[in-house]
Amino acid sequence: MIFGTTAGTWLLAVAAFAGPLATVLLGYQYAADTRAYDRVIRVATSVTTLALASALVYLTVQFVTGDYTNAYVWDNTANYLPLLYKLTGVYASNKGSVLLWALLTAVVATTTVLLNRFDVRGARLTQALAMGVVSVFATMLVSDSPFVPLAAEFPDIAANGVPADGSGLNPLLVDPFMAIHPPITFSAYALLVVPFALGVTHFVSRLRGHDSVFVEWIDSTTRWLRASWLLLTAAITLGGIWAYRVLGWGGFWSWDPVETAVLIPWLGLSAVLHSLNRYRTTGQYSVLAPAATAILFPLVVFATTVVRSGVFRSVHSFAGGGIGSGILFILGSTTALAVVPAFVYWFRLQDAAEGATADGGPRFGQPTILHAAVLAFVLLAFVSVWGLSFPVIRNLASGVEVGVDARYYNLWSFPVVVFMLLGGGAYAQRERMSGRTVLGTVAAVLVVTLAVGIGLARPEWQLATTEPFDPLYYRVVGGLSVLTVVPPAAYFAAGWTGRFVDRVARIDSRRVRLKETGVVLIHVGAAILVVAVSLVYVFSATGSVGIAGATGLDDSGEPVVRAVEGTPYTVEVSDYRPANTPTVTEAALSPAEVLSTDPSATAVLVRGEVTEVQRFENVTIAQLDGSSVWVGADRGTVAFEPGTEVVVRGSLSDPRSTNIDALVYTDRENAGTVDDPPTDVYQPRVVDHRFQVTLYRGEEVVADGIVAEQSYRGRDMNTNDPLIARGPLGDTYVVGTMTRGGGLSIEVSRYPLANQMWFGVLTMLVGMCLLFVFDPAAGARD
Amino acid sequence: MNTRKTLTVAFFVVVLAMGYYSMNAAPVVSDEAHTYEGGLEWQTEPGTALEMAQSQDKPILVYYWATWCTYCDTYSDNHYRNETVRAELDGYVLLAINLDEPGPGEDLARQHEATYPPQHRIMTPEGETVTSIEGYVERQQMLRILRRGAEEAT
Repeated sequence: MIFGTTAGTWLLAVAAFAGPLATVLLGYQYAADTRAYDRVIRVATSVTTLALASALVYLTVQFVTGDYTNAYVWDNTANYLPLLYKLTGVYASNKGSVLLWALLTAVVATTTVLLNRFDVRGARLTQALAMGVVSVFATMLVSDSPFVPLAAEFPDIAANGVPADGSGLNPLLVDPFMAIHPPITFSAYALLVVPFALGVTHFVSRLRGHDSVFVEWIDSTTRWLRASWLLLTAAITLGGIWAYRVLGWGGFWSWDPVETAVLIPWLGLSAVLHSLNRYRTTGQYSVLAPAATAILFPLVVFATTVVRSGVFRSVHSFAGGGIGSGILFILGSTTALAVVPAFVYWFRLQDAAEGATADGGPRFGQPTILHAAVLAFVLLAFVSVWGLSFPVIRNLASGVEVGVDARYYNLWSFPVVVFMLLGGGAYAQRERMSGRTVLGTVAAVLVVTLAVGIGLARPEWQLATTEPFDPLYYRVVGGLSVLTVVPPAAYFAAGWTGRFVDRVARIDSRRVRLKETGVVLIHVGAAILVVAVSLVYVFSATGSVGIAGATGLDDSGEPVVRAVEGTPYTVEVSDYRPANTPTVTEAALSPAEVLSTDPSATAVLVRGEVTEVQRFENVTIAQLDGSSVWVGADRGTVAFEPGTEVVVRGSLSDPRSTNIDALVYTDRENAGTVDDPPTDVYQPRVVDHRFQVTLYRGEEVVADGIVAEQSYRGRDMNTNDPLIARGPLGDTYVVGTMTRGGGLSIEVSRYPLANQMWFGVLTMLVGMCLLFVFDPAAGARD
Repeated sequence: MNTRKTLTVAFFVVVLAMGYYSMNAAPVVSDEAHTYEGGLEWQTEPGTALEMAQSQDKPILVYYWATWCTYCDTYSDNHYRNETVRAELDGYVLLAINLDEPGPGEDLARQHEATYPPQHRIMTPEGETVTSIEGYVERQQMLRILRRGAEEAT
């Protein structure tokens, strides 16, 4: 503590001083067109980043060493956690994740300042804007510091001195996928800060009649954006895998507000990358491309606000609890910066009757199709934005709460995706063939699509189950067959493959070939993904069955066999074996540890070997391990035998005897030997309820293994370990939930094509990597 | 107007039409006095529900739910839309409390120790709790509980 503030907060304060200093100086250098303060700026930006880095390292050290004088550390970790989860506890909650985000943003901003590859006036404004965002982050962190002392945040806890253990990490986050999901997400977010600053600078420069930096930086911007796109795709995928494996809620995507929110910047990025492609080669989208690039950063801030604000309840609400006004300030100011200069410029442009660069070329040429693709990505993003927003708007306006379910998102997105596949196929085909041929092909595919959509619309193949009273649109689109998506997807994949084959034959450069491979993999992967996701949604089937008294089962007894309602499966539960972590014996203290515990503790658990027994009129006492710690009980209730190792739970009392320092007084229920410990009275941190389950389809064993649910002491939450039987055509997914009175509810789901879905994503990711590394036009050296 | 401008105009028309249509087509989850989980009309105020239960001499089914709770969705889709379950629910006064925004149901939720969704309680018209369903149960079991609860609570 220095002047009443912790050392960590001082580090953040250094960043909150140096950051704004660099921002102001960079802004001045831009305004006055000078480079007088370059050295100061370099030092100030470096100091900002180093201070934030030191703060993060310091916080991490506090987590690893278990420094519970820090409230944030106490609240987000505990001694029992392995090193990996002590590290990830750092960003388990708001403050730590803002620190991580701030640091990554600072690294990106500082890199542009130190490299200083572009010596134009606008570069200083770009750097000033990027450092400005870092400065707001740093200020936010000082006012809501992750280094607040325990005594300030939790005075009740701190009143008894520094706790020996932390309150733990949210069990849902104890998972390897969750360990890497946040850093990847925040890296993707951080990379967008420079494109944002560039987009804003572009319009400010143009309005002031200066040269644009955007044009000069376009190749490197494309790389920033592609890296961000790659990371964001990976982050969303990891989140999906986590939901599938860990939440045990049966699904990888449920249109939860957070999932929907993160999809918006992803779709935005996809739209921007497509429009930049045109901008780079022809200069079209002179307003839209930089404006859209700038808006991406506000979009990710919006996604974060949705995650953390608590306005939208979701599976991510563990991170809620109010992120404060800082993030809202960033959201408001970056949105204004991204939108206002672009609009002003656009208005003036209209006055100047420019737009001459806008068109030309055939009516149905590649530029037109690409334009439609960009609009379609924006439309998809709008479906998500609107789905998040209109319930809030309608509730505020009329007090009526309306529901938004998966059906809204699925049925509004589906036709857009179908048209995107058709358009994308046409784009690829148009490169080699005339407009007439392509239009003819599209018409033919459209006819096949509609024939499939209407002709194969068996009830179980329909996109949604609809009722006669549902709105017309839902009945029409919901009544289509899911197979509608197959012909356009096939056309799309074939078109891009054809384009690839044609291009590669004409290309000599290895790098360009690899880049083209990346492009084709992204598109073919997307087609696989879209088909697999659609089919998984429609053909997944779920049924459940309740098994009363499941916790009474054991291996040697008769198993319970039940048919699962609504599925062709039969489930057999043959064994129940709960596992406590830690076990009562592991949790018990040694005599030496008993002496150092807080004397006001109501109950202690101790283990040791009985070395001496003394019997009095009413009481028997026994010495443990030859120490000054004894255990005792009413005479005749507990048999203490010398030489046996006992586990005893009881109240701690001071016997006021010279050779006994502590006496643990117990009774029959609370005492036992190491072989037969008093498990019933013991509340472990985690109980892992493990059921041996076999799933049959007819006579055939589909899945065989453990279905488990974990419950946690002092937390109203459970986690589940599903049993997943993977197959080439789909996964069978079994999850068990404990019900009242020792029952078990087994839910069996079938996810067809689940692995094809992961394959599609993987193909896209590989393609993105290739494109990122090998595109010579975007910075890769030949 | 060139092709791309036409496309852009069409885009905005689609956006506006879609936004307007979808907002009005969205199912109402709750208004001033009711919530509509699973397409049923639930009371949201315990006082009103108790009055209704006493005047109609029916037991009360209390349902604790949340918007993000996937098991609640299963209840909605699989249980409450089922004819047999609905027939059984006719014998009950229905009271649903959103655990994230319990409003007037806050005290009852505390009294019932309903801390996580989904949960159900069956109460007599006098407000005495006779049965609890914690978490998810499949349909047949829910039907059994509802039948037994109706007998016990009247």
